[in-house]
Amino acid sequence: MIAPYALRLAVQSLLREKWINLLSVMTIAAGLFIISVSFFVLYNIDIATKNLPEKFAMTVYLDNSLHKDKLGPLIDSFRKKKAVLSVRYISRDEAMKELKSSLKNSDYILEGLEENPLPESLEIKLKKDEVEAETAQQLASEALKIKGVTEVDYGEKFLSTLQSIKKGFKSAGLAFAAILSTGMIFVCYSTVKILFYRRTEEIETFKLLGATKGFIRTPFLIEGAVIGTCGGLLSLAGCFLLYYTFLLRLSITMPIFKTILFPADLFLPLPIIGMVLGITGAVIALGRLRY
Amino acid sequence: MIHFQNVTKDYDNQTAIRDISFSVDKGEMIFLTGPSGSGKSTLMKLIYLAEKPDNGNITIAGWETSHLKESTIPSVRRNIGIVFQDFRLLENRTAFENVALALRIRGIGDKETKTRVYDALKTVNLRHKSDSYPKTLSGGEQQRVVIARAIVSEPSILLADEPTGNLDPDTAAGVARIFKDIHAKGTTILIATHNRELYRNTGKRVLRLDSGNLVGEELG
Repeated sequence: MIAPYALRLAVQSLLREKWINLLSVMTIAAGLFIISVSFFVLYNIDIATKNLPEKFAMTVYLDNSLHKDKLGPLIDSFRKKKAVLSVRYISRDEAMKELKSSLKNSDYILEGLEENPLPESLEIKLKKDEVEAETAQQLASEALKIKGVTEVDYGEKFLSTLQSIKKGFKSAGLAFAAILSTGMIFVCYSTVKILFYRRTEEIETFKLLGATKGFIRTPFLIEGAVIGTCGGLLSLAGCFLLYYTFLLRLSITMPIFKTILFPADLFLPLPIIGMVLGITGAVIALGRLRY
Repeated sequence: MIHFQNVTKDYDNQTAIRDISFSVDKGEMIFLTGPSGSGKSTLMKLIYLAEKPDNGNITIAGWETSHLKESTIPSVRRNIGIVFQDFRLLENRTAFENVALALRIRGIGDKETKTRVYDALKTVNLRHKSDSYPKTLSGGEQQRVVIARAIVSEPSILLADEPTGNLDPDTAAGVARIFKDIHAKGTTILIATHNRELYRNTGKRVLRLDSGNLVGEELG
């Protein structure tokens, strides 16, 4: 019987203090919206960088004196490795052909070469999930121990840049979300604290009439939850509005925006996140009640 | 029902209650009197656990308050109806809602609450003012709403701190009659008052306080 009454008290208070509550809802909505937009940007960067490993390949240069009989077992030994997706043999002629095609109109620089200076090589592609600096480094050092392998080029820079981009965005995103979440908890905390102070006399009367801490706390927790949930709902609406009325229209005139993905499913928990933030703020604001 | 044993209470090294001992039996009605600052309100606060004694023991309805867990305090208070000197009515709630509060806190349902609140308001002759807000009520009417709130939960103990302090003699007499009726139903009542008319010719015990000391006991 206490729960419906607590709900009634919470609704009465929400309506009575509508301006301060509305302000809190708007602040939480703005905070969650900013987090969501940041997440939206990070998500798209993540998707874009996920395709980059497909372009990654290691090149294992072979000694020209390597006997043809040993080539087959060498290729097989690489293929057997867990991280390896494919191994392609590139003969010296093929290498020259590829070089020429990549030079296009500048292939005159190769004129005058009497002999093909390029070595035979193996192009090794790694499985998507294995494209990491450590894996490539380990594979390279193993390859260098094999007789007939002269050099391994595994694009350290490419891998380390890719990793730092991912790590950087993730850490920045997490830090940003943590700071804003703390801010939103503080907003809920302040709101509930103000409401609590405004009702100090009322609460004192409740206590003297025999109210339990649960009876006193519940309406405030409900208020925190409602404020947080409303903030979450508003930010969710903001995200959908941003995508469907802005980005989608923009993609008609600017095709690059067509590649942007909108993870609607991932935004749906926003009201729940708002509710959790609201309740957390309320719990901190109420602190330890004394009779 | 109420038992004080060598109770002392200080506020910032100033003694409000000094080594007081007395008992109130179940169903008894007693008066506390004395000049302002004699310790009447402090004594009341000690009973409804708004204050803790610095020394001595207090037993309320079987609970020894010095060994009470904090979580038990609401249970003890639910045995006590309080008529506060400053009313403590919630301004944004109607007379009905103010009285109902005592039952809501106890988790009593809407239907029963409605019946009991109207009965309590009827007892204090304010049934017709149930939808009025405290600000629109006179001092005497507000006092009676407070009494209705104190009795609606049918507590075993009723405390009243200066219940006729702001009232004219006729209204005060009306309030005295209400207490008499409530006492007739078996409720233990302790009234702190300046008003001699309230206890004169009642034949009830009157405890006299002065500067925090219990200086005398007489029959009204």
